[in-house]
Amino acid sequence: MRRETQNILLVLLGGALLKLALTSEYLRYVKPVHQPWLIGAGAVMLLLGTIAIWRDLRADQPEEDGHAEHGDHAEHSHSTRTSWILLVPVLTVVLVAPPALGSDSVNRSASRGSQIEARGADNPGFPALPAGDPVPLSVAEFSMRAAWDTEESLRDRRVRLSGFVVHREDEVLLARMMIGCCAADASSVAVRLSGAPGLDQLSEDEWIEATGTLVPGSSTSETNYIAELTADSVRAIEEPSDPYEY
Amino acid sequence: MTDSATETVSEGPARASKRPKITSIEVLCVILVLAIIGQTWLQQLLDVPSLRTGATVFVAICVQALPFLVLGVLLSGAIAAFMPARTLRKILPNRQGAAVGVAGFAGMGLPTCECASIPVARRLIGQGVAPAAALTFMNAAPAVNPVVLVATAVAFPYEPGMVLGRLLGSLATAFVLGWLWIRWGKLEWMAERARRRLPDVRPGNRWKTFTETARGDLVDAGGFLVLGAMIAAAMNVLVPGEWFAALGGQIVFGVLVMAVLAVLLSLCSEADAFVAASIPGIPLVAKLVFLVVGPVVDAKLIMLYTGTFGRTFTTRFVPVAFVVAIACAVTAGVLVLGGVR
Repeated sequence: MRRETQNILLVLLGGALLKLALTSEYLRYVKPVHQPWLIGAGAVMLLLGTIAIWRDLRADQPEEDGHAEHGDHAEHSHSTRTSWILLVPVLTVVLVAPPALGSDSVNRSASRGSQIEARGADNPGFPALPAGDPVPLSVAEFSMRAAWDTEESLRDRRVRLSGFVVHREDEVLLARMMIGCCAADASSVAVRLSGAPGLDQLSEDEWIEATGTLVPGSSTSETNYIAELTADSVRAIEEPSDPYEY
Repeated sequence: MTDSATETVSEGPARASKRPKITSIEVLCVILVLAIIGQTWLQQLLDVPSLRTGATVFVAICVQALPFLVLGVLLSGAIAAFMPARTLRKILPNRQGAAVGVAGFAGMGLPTCECASIPVARRLIGQGVAPAAALTFMNAAPAVNPVVLVATAVAFPYEPGMVLGRLLGSLATAFVLGWLWIRWGKLEWMAERARRRLPDVRPGNRWKTFTETARGDLVDAGGFLVLGAMIAAAMNVLVPGEWFAALGGQIVFGVLVMAVLAVLLSLCSEADAFVAASIPGIPLVAKLVFLVVGPVVDAKLIMLYTGTFGRTFTTRFVPVAFVVAIACAVTAGVLVLGGVR
């Protein structure tokens, strides 16, 4: 591959990373703390590509003194073909823009065991729930309390959860993905919905907000630590810009 | 800059003739135009649940790893431009065995994940550092730096032994691999491009050397990183979930499967602790194996090793590193966690 093409690829890839980082699109793939890293990396790629292009334009003759030039010669014969692969993430990000993980990942990770079980067994206890009716909670927090809170802080409290819809057999789940660093390490948390009319009509992967109360004792090893929520209202919402829990 | 000077070696001789020639620039333009025209078709093609998940995971691994690779090539460029070989020789002990020790602990100071340490190690070798020491640094840095250890502590809040186990297991892996290299390693295994000594940079040329080295390393390694991300994303979708569930308490089987999973899933060393912690019912020692193997051998690293050091090196290094990492992790686990559990 020619040096000029490599420079263009670097500029394109840097531009694609900047596009992700400067819109909220990057939140579909990584945690918010990655944003400065991503901006830095995109800017550096853009700069390295631009500097090389600018330097090539300025110099009519190849400079024979810089050893890096000689290095380029020998080195690039081997990477000629693999450098083309840099185009794949550019095209994927710009043209396809894959969505955040959804119901497919929930079903996929179903047999990997439950975050709630792994985290819960010997936790030190939970602080009191904040005041408010309903109390907005993350699905992870709700599930942890449902499974492990010996003080039963959720008893007779209305909570509000948001997540996407997953249909499994004849159950309707409200689910969220949790990530530790990027979407490659995601695992799912889910709550089974009951009570509200029209649950079956919800479409897969649709984002909803459900308000209701916990069915006590519903989160056990038999239910794979998926708690049940008696919902009094379920309404559709926009997908949040930050679709994961951490 | 004229074309003849910048063409790759294979394309060079054809330059003699004057007739216009299709170069990679034209190919790139055609690909871009085709991709833009076929955008709807591309989106439909990927509109299958498993492919969509795979594409998301692929972009996620790229987005997460590329910044670290960029950091690595910047360090590599800085070493090439501002750290002449004689300075490095002064810093590192002359005896190779001792240099390996220094390099291992130096790894604690580079708070990045594994993608950054490979270009740095390659540049150190180019600057005349003993390969054994550079390899030790490469294997230690991603696993024992403060960021990774803190992440491990956060992921295992009730098992403080995991942090110490990881530190000891990973350091031991790096040292053992370094010493094995001193005893049996041959420089010829590494591709010529990786071990070529760079001449000293003239003072006026430092800035240019810095940017050109970083650019070259990025183009070289970037393609392999993306290839590794594609493989890892495919594995992420293809590895059946039952693998996790079937493990139960079986210690030997558990250790082996977790080691293989570490290779297939190619998680960043800053994130793997969260995944390991979230798999219930697996012996802690097997989780430790997952954490020690991942930063040394995984799908994306194998691609990066191939791209940086060549195939001969990779086919020898990777199996040995895999076995050594498992052995060190199990030993560290038994010592720190007080037995197999």
